[in-house]
Amino acid sequence: MNDLIQVVDSPEKMACAGRQLREIVRQKEIAPNSVLEVFERWAAALDDRELHEVPGVTFLRLWLRRGTLEPILLRELGPNSLNGGWQADGRARLQAFPLGVVGHWPAGNIEIQPILSLSCALLGGNCCIVRVPSGLVGVTQRVIEKLRKVDRDGLLSERIFMATFDHSRIDLHEAMAQAVDGAMIWGGAEAVSQVRGLQFPHWARVLVFGPRLSAAAMDAETWGDGKERSSWCRRIARDVWQFDQQACSSPQTLFLERGAGCDPDEFVKDLRQAFQEENRQHPRLQVEPALTSAICLARASWLLDNVDNRALFPASPDWTVLLGTGTEMPNPTQGRTLSVLVVDDLLRAISTFDGTLQTLGLGVKDARKEEVLARAAGRSGVDRIIKLGRMHVFSSPWDGTELIRPMVRFVRHVPSQD
Amino acid sequence: MSALLEIEQGIESLLTEPPYGVDPQHRHRTLLALLKKELAYACDRNARFRNYVEHWPIDFHVAEEIADLPYLPVGAFKANPPLALIGADDVKRILTSSATTGQVPSRVVLDAATARRMAKGVITIVRDFIGPARRPYLVIDVPENLTTRTELGARGAAIQALGSFATEVVSCLRPGQEADSSLDLDKLLACAEKWKEADVLVYGFTYVIWTQFVQPLQRQGITLGIPNVHVLHSGGWKRLEQQSVTRDVFIRGVASVFGCSADRILDYYGMVENVGVIYPDCDQGNKHVPAFAEVIVRDPLTLAPVKAGQRGLIQVCSVLPTSFPGFLLLTEDMAEVISYDNCPCGRRGTSFRFAGRAPKAEVRGCGNLENTRYRQAQAIGVA
Repeated sequence: MNDLIQVVDSPEKMACAGRQLREIVRQKEIAPNSVLEVFERWAAALDDRELHEVPGVTFLRLWLRRGTLEPILLRELGPNSLNGGWQADGRARLQAFPLGVVGHWPAGNIEIQPILSLSCALLGGNCCIVRVPSGLVGVTQRVIEKLRKVDRDGLLSERIFMATFDHSRIDLHEAMAQAVDGAMIWGGAEAVSQVRGLQFPHWARVLVFGPRLSAAAMDAETWGDGKERSSWCRRIARDVWQFDQQACSSPQTLFLERGAGCDPDEFVKDLRQAFQEENRQHPRLQVEPALTSAICLARASWLLDNVDNRALFPASPDWTVLLGTGTEMPNPTQGRTLSVLVVDDLLRAISTFDGTLQTLGLGVKDARKEEVLARAAGRSGVDRIIKLGRMHVFSSPWDGTELIRPMVRFVRHVPSQD
Repeated sequence: MSALLEIEQGIESLLTEPPYGVDPQHRHRTLLALLKKELAYACDRNARFRNYVEHWPIDFHVAEEIADLPYLPVGAFKANPPLALIGADDVKRILTSSATTGQVPSRVVLDAATARRMAKGVITIVRDFIGPARRPYLVIDVPENLTTRTELGARGAAIQALGSFATEVVSCLRPGQEADSSLDLDKLLACAEKWKEADVLVYGFTYVIWTQFVQPLQRQGITLGIPNVHVLHSGGWKRLEQQSVTRDVFIRGVASVFGCSADRILDYYGMVENVGVIYPDCDQGNKHVPAFAEVIVRDPLTLAPVKAGQRGLIQVCSVLPTSFPGFLLLTEDMAEVISYDNCPCGRRGTSFRFAGRAPKAEVRGCGNLENTRYRQAQAIGVA
């Protein structure tokens, strides 16, 4: 390992990194525009054949473009925020200042998440300590190397301290928590609870993303349309495949509205074809044996629980479609196991959702019907409602929260000359 | 001839074969044919099981390999009511697995015929390792686990399965509070004095033997002086590994308190769902499969059988049960296949080594929830 990602083995090293970063925040302001300029060069540098196979890098290139981030900045920090400085606010004026040092605890299952999380805090002018999960060290290093190359003056690089240490080292998690003014925590229930329970300074702002679940829904007109069905099935397969269905935005259940003349068996046949094709293009390279066991159990339990339940799956654990009826989402299995539930009324299914549900992927022909479903989903705790096939497209707000604004302070100045 | 009668005759025939002497290819053909009949029988008896089998990607009627037949994950037996092929009136015994705290145990139902075959299967296997003679049987457990009840836990089932070898049965632990039993030293020393040079069979759960038998005896510097024991133990190493007790340390400790050689101690793998089949270590340290069973080790990535030298999830197969569909079961345990024949110990067929429980997934994504808000609220009674 080189110096891009440091192996941290003592709380003192972490505290020292925190002090150095805080000094940089105190000494040097950086305007969002300057960050965007480096990000543009970084995005271009990521267009490298060597990185093409890294999941999410194509999206990361788009994310880092000015065209993506500028509208988010303008919405979250204000219309004249790009160059930094004070903005008039009546007789007073406002300026966004960074919180200081932001700690990032990304989930271990999404390759580009350390970088996505980091990018949000950098846009707010912060310095960052990033705990890189052990499984993502190699990928993160390759991506951050590109930043080092394009960030010749070290404008952003000096604001980043990337650390790796064993997840069981509570003392190092504690030291990291003590060193920061804000935190962005991503992950599953266990990891999030553990990090959230750390002793952060009382002024620290802690932002938690996940754990959440996602679902999909289609009205009868959409999935019953034989001409468009295979295209929709490909979209669903894409959403299921990414991140091996372990992301909070991964659909675990698809609700199909019952319709006259619409045969769910025909639909799942098309879905099988789409899953087979997606699997051919993106085969799994490794799997946890416990996940394979869970997939086998999900198949068996589904078919043993109810003789009317049906399922499609190959001899391998590559993918599974469980077909049945009912409005309640089954316990998610992940690992490309999609429950397809036929319901009389999509609204009834949506009314069973709670705040656990992050994203609702939709395929609905009638805009007025979609409007009703979207409002119901919003009332039931859903934070994102999006067209099927785009469920993982990262954007602000995420989990109902803005991404840049929470990590800045709006300082109000009323000039004393008035 | 009825389907069940035909199956029972097939099972009896396999039970009379030398357990480890059958040519693997011949055994495969015999097992495949019998397992197909059992699957068809189970489908007739249980609509839920039929639903599962009908959705299997390969039609079992035309399967040419045991590995292609539909298998159930062992977790399927955690269902309530238990998955059964018999009516409630025919249930003679229910075996329950030793689930860890907070987990649901597996439950399998036995009728008289399956229970009889279970006993016969274990006797056939154990006889191959310790000989056929009946002998005193020392149980390192509390007397409660010796009694025959309708519902029997894993420890009770393992103890009772060896009962046929006993001329007398002595349990040497006294019940205490919850899991805290204590050694009945006077009783044990009296037995040791009486048995001395005799052949003796000993059974206990691995961690019970260590914590409640070996350690107390070692602390008091007692050697029992029963050199002709065969000590069988099962139940896994997890708890002892947590105490940093290795196999070597365990074997040396047990051998020292009995005053016997290390080869007298036999670790075996088994589970209640795989009734009548246990897998003791041979003198090469490998586990073998008897004539009426098979073990397939599957690659977790593809679920295809692995090659010799590779690791994967263990699938156990047995023709013995006819009261529940436990013929083909995918476990949550891992093993390495040593060879598919020709173990130097002389036993034919697949030899493997147990490699522990499939580790819990380390990477937990942001989609990993322990509970939904609604269910959590229900659990604490506010919804």
